[in-house]
Amino acid sequence: MPEIVVEGISKTLGGLLTLGKINIKAGAGDFVGILGPSGCGKSTLFNIISGLLRPDRGRVLIDGRDVTGRTGRVSYMRQKDLLLPSLNIVENVSIPLVLKGMPKKQACAEAAAHFKQFGLAGFEKYYPRQLSGGMRQRAAMLRTYLFSSDILLLDEPFAALDAITKRKMQAWLIDVFNMINPTVMYITHDVDEALYLCDRIYVLSDCPTDVRLEIRVPFCRPPHGRTIAHSEYGAIRDKVMEALEI
Amino acid sequence: MITRPVVSVSMKKSRITADIFIPLAFIILILAGWEYIVRLRSIPDWLLPGPAQIVRTLVDNAPLIIKHTQSTLIECLAGFAVAILFSFIVAFLMDEIALLRKALYPLIVASQTIPIVSVAPLFIIWFGYGMLPKIIVVVLVCFFPVAISLLSGLAAVDNDYLELFRSMQASRLKTFRMVKLPLSMPSFFAGLRISAAYSVMGAVIGEWLGAKQGLGTYMTLAQRSFQIDRVFAAILAVTVLSAALFLLVSLVERLVIPWNRLGEK
Repeated sequence: MPEIVVEGISKTLGGLLTLGKINIKAGAGDFVGILGPSGCGKSTLFNIISGLLRPDRGRVLIDGRDVTGRTGRVSYMRQKDLLLPSLNIVENVSIPLVLKGMPKKQACAEAAAHFKQFGLAGFEKYYPRQLSGGMRQRAAMLRTYLFSSDILLLDEPFAALDAITKRKMQAWLIDVFNMINPTVMYITHDVDEALYLCDRIYVLSDCPTDVRLEIRVPFCRPPHGRTIAHSEYGAIRDKVMEALEI
Repeated sequence: MITRPVVSVSMKKSRITADIFIPLAFIILILAGWEYIVRLRSIPDWLLPGPAQIVRTLVDNAPLIIKHTQSTLIECLAGFAVAILFSFIVAFLMDEIALLRKALYPLIVASQTIPIVSVAPLFIIWFGYGMLPKIIVVVLVCFFPVAISLLSGLAAVDNDYLELFRSMQASRLKTFRMVKLPLSMPSFFAGLRISAAYSVMGAVIGEWLGAKQGLGTYMTLAQRSFQIDRVFAAILAVTVLSAALFLLVSLVERLVIPWNRLGEK
């Protein structure tokens, strides 16, 4: 599994210094959380890692290879599912394979092979508008996975879901993570979600954004799901809240 | 996990009844009132015929009216097809090339302010009394709503889709074909429906000003000889033709973008 290193990235957007010297690292197979107030440039950071934006300074290394400003290595998943309403789920999910040059039929078969693993079995021929928000996000995640199976960049993937669905999706994500073991970077502004899912959390400040706190989470992803019962939970949560100044 | 339509069968049934029955009853009421007044006041046929007389004229002159309707229909379809083709080319180029969009947009909007009745005679002077000038008028009438709705559909595509496809290294052409084109189709068809109804009007105006055949010609001839019942029969034919084209477009829409009706509440 690859290692992602974000080295001294800064970026000015619209005359405003959005990112001021960000250093973030996700080791092979890590589940790293990026926590920060809304509008602090978290999505800009993902745009830079995925190569959509070129930073003013700094570089992005994936497994030691400089991929700064180059698309094609990783894609990322957003809060919006961005499934095409004109295609059914299996066609939607197979898009990255088709774009890589695979014949459509083969791409659909390849994508369909993962449906069970991602909890989508039986929904191949449904259209996005026929599915609930949770199912659509599963499909969006599978599409992201089929583009780059070893790295998942997730930008508030469950933020638009209701609390109960969100919790179910988090448990589902943990299952998927345990099965495919990718390197994950997970943007969120939900402290408890970060503490539940991530091995390590970077807390970002307001604009110009820098890393306020990097903290290891000793109790992440327990099989029983009860993080709050852990003896260190309160202390770590307090530290994160303090860094967020809330 | 699946959202099902909340409308139950009985609700749907009652809604259909309301949607069809109420306007139908209203139309029948108006026609009955019209017929009643014409008979009560014994208004002469050359001034205002009643609906019954109009229907009788329509049936009596059916072969002739059908012949005229055919040429009008051909003009409509030809003009419509050319307008759609032009709209696609122009909208694609304007969407891809920002300079072209800036240059052409005001021109397209301005073209719409030119009254068709004032330019249609020029086409007759230039291209004669055949079908061509009528087809040009139909193209002019239909092009604007189709092109503008297609353009705004293309422009309204969520930028996040484009970024997603860019991050997956999709070419511009592929992004256009896979994302922009399908997502702009609902807006395109909205424009298409409007111009389907306009197209008949365009053809009739073209024929009105001088033609050998067509409902417009038939109408002017009838008008000049005070055969008002024939004028009304022609109007009825124009209405039916417009409605038929409108329905045709709606049908094609259902076939081309069946997914657009999913999730409608």
